[in-house]
Amino acid sequence: MSDLIGKLNSLEGEVLAQIAAAKSSDALEQIRVSVLGKKGSLSEVLRGLGSVDAAERPKIGAVSNQVKAKVEEALSRAKETLGSAEINAKIAKEKIDITLPARSLHLGSLHPVTQTVRKITHILGKIGFDLTTGPEIETDFMNFEAVNIPKDHPARDMQDTFFVGPGVVLRTQTSPVQMRAMREQKAPIRILCPGAVYRADNDATHSPMFHQIEGLWVDKGVRFSDLKGTLQFFAQELFGSDVKIRLRPSYFPFVEPGCEVDVSCFKCGGRDEKCSICKGTGWLEILGAGMVHPRLFEVAGYNPNEVSGFAFGLGIERIAMLLHHIPDLRLMFQGDVRFLKQFL
Amino acid sequence: MNISMRWLSEYVELSGVSATEVARILTDRGLEIESTRSLSKGFEKVITVKILERNKHPGADKLSLCKVSTGSGEPLQIVCGAQNMKAGDIVALAQIGAVIPNGLKIQESKIRGEVSFGMLCSEEELMMADEAEGILILPPDTKLGQPLADVLGRNDTILELKITPNRGDCLSMIGVAREVASALGKKVLKPQVTELDFKGAKISTKLDAGDQSLQFFGCEIEGVKVGPSPDWLKQKLESMGSRSINNVVDCTNYLMFETGQPVHAYDASKLKGTELSIRLGRSGEKLPLLDNTEVVLRDSDLVIADAERSVALAGAMGGGNSEVTDSTTKLYLECAEFHAVTVRKSAHGHDKKTDAATRFEKGIDSANLGYAISRLKDLIIKAAGGKVTGSTKTIHPRHPRLTSKKQIVFSPEYIREFLGVTTSDAEIRKTLTSLEIEVDTNKPLWVAVPPSYRNDLSIKEDLAEEIARTIGFDQIPATIPPLSSVPSGVEPKLIERAKDILVNQGLNETLTYAFNSRSWLTQFGLDSGIKIQNPLSEEQEVMVPSLIPGLMKHHIENENKTFGSDPLAVRLFEIRPVFTQKPGAEIRAVGETDTGTTETWKMAAVISGPRFASSMKVHQERVDFSDLKSVVESWFTALGTKGIRLRSWDSGRNLTHYSKIFHPGQTAEVWAGKDCVGLFGRIHPALAVKLKLAKDDVWLTEIDWNAVEKLSRSTLSGATFAPWAEFPTMERDFALVVNADLESDRLTGIALKAGKPLAKVAKIFDVYKGKPIAEGKMSIAVRVIFADPTRSLAEAEVEKASQMIRDGWKKELGIELRS
Ligand SMILES: [Zn+2]
Repeated sequence: MSDLIGKLNSLEGEVLAQIAAAKSSDALEQIRVSVLGKKGSLSEVLRGLGSVDAAERPKIGAVSNQVKAKVEEALSRAKETLGSAEINAKIAKEKIDITLPARSLHLGSLHPVTQTVRKITHILGKIGFDLTTGPEIETDFMNFEAVNIPKDHPARDMQDTFFVGPGVVLRTQTSPVQMRAMREQKAPIRILCPGAVYRADNDATHSPMFHQIEGLWVDKGVRFSDLKGTLQFFAQELFGSDVKIRLRPSYFPFVEPGCEVDVSCFKCGGRDEKCSICKGTGWLEILGAGMVHPRLFEVAGYNPNEVSGFAFGLGIERIAMLLHHIPDLRLMFQGDVRFLKQFL
Repeated sequence: MNISMRWLSEYVELSGVSATEVARILTDRGLEIESTRSLSKGFEKVITVKILERNKHPGADKLSLCKVSTGSGEPLQIVCGAQNMKAGDIVALAQIGAVIPNGLKIQESKIRGEVSFGMLCSEEELMMADEAEGILILPPDTKLGQPLADVLGRNDTILELKITPNRGDCLSMIGVAREVASALGKKVLKPQVTELDFKGAKISTKLDAGDQSLQFFGCEIEGVKVGPSPDWLKQKLESMGSRSINNVVDCTNYLMFETGQPVHAYDASKLKGTELSIRLGRSGEKLPLLDNTEVVLRDSDLVIADAERSVALAGAMGGGNSEVTDSTTKLYLECAEFHAVTVRKSAHGHDKKTDAATRFEKGIDSANLGYAISRLKDLIIKAAGGKVTGSTKTIHPRHPRLTSKKQIVFSPEYIREFLGVTTSDAEIRKTLTSLEIEVDTNKPLWVAVPPSYRNDLSIKEDLAEEIARTIGFDQIPATIPPLSSVPSGVEPKLIERAKDILVNQGLNETLTYAFNSRSWLTQFGLDSGIKIQNPLSEEQEVMVPSLIPGLMKHHIENENKTFGSDPLAVRLFEIRPVFTQKPGAEIRAVGETDTGTTETWKMAAVISGPRFASSMKVHQERVDFSDLKSVVESWFTALGTKGIRLRSWDSGRNLTHYSKIFHPGQTAEVWAGKDCVGLFGRIHPALAVKLKLAKDDVWLTEIDWNAVEKLSRSTLSGATFAPWAEFPTMERDFALVVNADLESDRLTGIALKAGKPLAKVAKIFDVYKGKPIAEGKMSIAVRVIFADPTRSLAEAEVEKASQMIRDGWKKELGIELRS
């Protein structure tokens, strides 16, 4: 009996020494199997139990359990120590240079004209405007006569027109879209018409093709003050809540009264004589506007004594150039990826 | 139109009112100021001096050493390079510190060893003339030490106005003065004239062009002496940017600038017969004009004619055959009114868009001709002498504006409601009266009669504008209009989503012109039936039927730019309309809206270059068909487009107009329903050569957006949830050796059909060509996924389905499995 206990004790001593000497998790696992496994050395020792007195057996069993527990504890402690050393070694080996270039995907971008249209439609959508579009090749009637610019009227000189056939032009303004919308639906009408327009003009500040967005609001009792309020809301949403607007009387055949609208310089507020944005004037001309001329209502089939309305139009490239500090209009149409990629 | 502040102050009292203030008033009233320019700018330190001595410069033959006197103090030494001066001349000295108009800064300097205390100026250096020979010599009675600006009458500021087409009345000093006077609450000081009596004329006037000839006033003057204009006349014309010609012609221009009424002076001795008429031109008749050109008249032109021939293109320019010259002594003055549209057509038709024509086009003051010709007569007698020997006038008996006055009926309440203001009745009346608009306020509806010079006022909205601009647009409140119907919301339109999806695929949106050159389109095998009649250049001649030529232009321009040594990735897209002629239609307006053209929105893209935006060599694989296919397929998937099918392009049959653009062996057709709506694939190798592309692996697509839009989810929220399999799936992989030209989707298609109902997905996951596979063959691997949404599958039933698939391949394609 004492022989068996002695064997257990010496096994314990041996195994603990082996565990202490083990250098890897794999070695510990081998020790575990060789000691505690079905055919392990502990089972081997206990196989001698059959020749032991029945009364002695519980005692030996207790010793055996103690040995087993000690070995297991030593194994798990050693495993923990060794394991973290191994992980550390792995980490050290796997270190990479995170400053190397990425396997980057290409980043796409929207053209600043599109981005600006979206900004504008988002702002004006908040107060009830909806979007509509129309054709870019128009009849002379829709582009001019229907919006109160009769043939041989001096106002025709305000826009250099491209002609594509008898009575057919590239639209010089988005106003015909207004007229199409009014002919298709009854008041109230609140629409924005963005799109390309064309003028026979080409220099650093004019492009033969550019984009406009036109707004139209027609309802009973629409006032000139509503136009002013709408434009003030728009300008402050677009350029910042502290900008002011200035309406200057002007003339566009499709409105009466008509005005040009300036916004106070959002960069310098008029305080910098050398301001690159406003050139020291403190004001930026951004759009033309006015109350819809009754002649347009007549053409559209509305009764000018029942409804009134306002309209405004602005050049999108001009706004985009202001918002994004783009120095030259021509960059917009050159497709240079060095330009396009800046507007992510 | 230029406005001289000095001249303006003759018509409205402006003491204490600065040019800046006048500019502000005019801006607030709708007359845009394009520029403000002080005529004395650069003249600040330029004074009059007398040359006391002129000696040779000891160190330079071509230079002189002058001693000049400013009238007081020590004489100054000046080095001068001019040759036209002598002792005793009075000249202009730019003193030390001056910055003269041409930008030159005057500093004390030593020239070849001699000190010069300033510079004697030429008219060129003072920007008074384009060129000058020698320095400016002033009249001998000029006082010394005076600022040159005072001596030359240059203490003036010029406001350059941009007059809108409706305000022809402001194309005159008096018109602008009226606006300023109204704003300042002052009176307009119209020059007093001795009115002609319109009697005793030897030449009678006749209106011989129906409603196109409206009024003809004439005046005969004898004994004039034509010569240079006096300074008062010359200076005023110069301030308007108009060159002085002679005293008579200058007076006619003066009168036009002053009153807005164009007039013309003829040499009366050159006129034939005893009658001048306004009549239509005789087709083919030749008329020499004052600018030394000759026009061939059309029967729509209006002319002034004597007994034998035309002597002026009415409203635009006088004839060379009756020109006033230095030897003229007898004058005939014409002051007339013509139909505005006729003058416009003549002036535009013959390219004589003169100051006079502009004024007629925009409408003159029909009631002012008597005043204007009387004033002209006074001016001419003052500047050139002579006396009136007779005058006459003829007025159309049914003159539209003189026979009946325009009346505008309105109520003050309307004005307040329309503008959103609280202006009182009294203020409204006072404002209109200050603009010389007569108002009858005795009835509930008021009646306004605008003055004869305001051709732009005809409806009540015009009156509202007059009130608004007088009280000031800044005084109008800012209100947000109420919504009387439910807004439709600001959800982005589908086209915006379509752009976003392409952006997410790493493409950059670009904008190409809607026009291009015919020769560029020809490179792509395209033509356009829509030609711009008046293109700015050949580059912008025709409207494009496809976006690809424009995109390729951008592609090439990028290739030609420097991006360092990194290979260039060009990934551009655009969604815009293209333009085609309607089949069988002519491009002309039919009815109010038809143009004979069709606009179809297209999505087009070009991708080329490295697949990744990385500088690492290992990542620099180039994009290929698979990348392009991914862009197109993902676009459809994300748009929720239903019913799209892809096929190999049959270039002889579908979308044949692209046959010079796309590679016939590497291009797919996109089908939507019954229509082939677009292509995607490689650029045609021949086109790549023609366009001199650096590499020919450029990938293109163009798809009809209108067709795609119809088949796509209209909103983001349109997607509906589909449950996924809850029970485990089973997979089988098949390896086959097939003919190399077999389209792989035949294999997957057959697998899905033959493996029904358990086969749910079939996909290609490997393709291999080369040894040990025989030439003309390829090894292809297909994975089939089996599932039943209601239960787990047993091995045996999957094996059975797999056998059905093998049988299907064998039966339909004659293919045996490789293993
Ligand atoms: Zn600024």
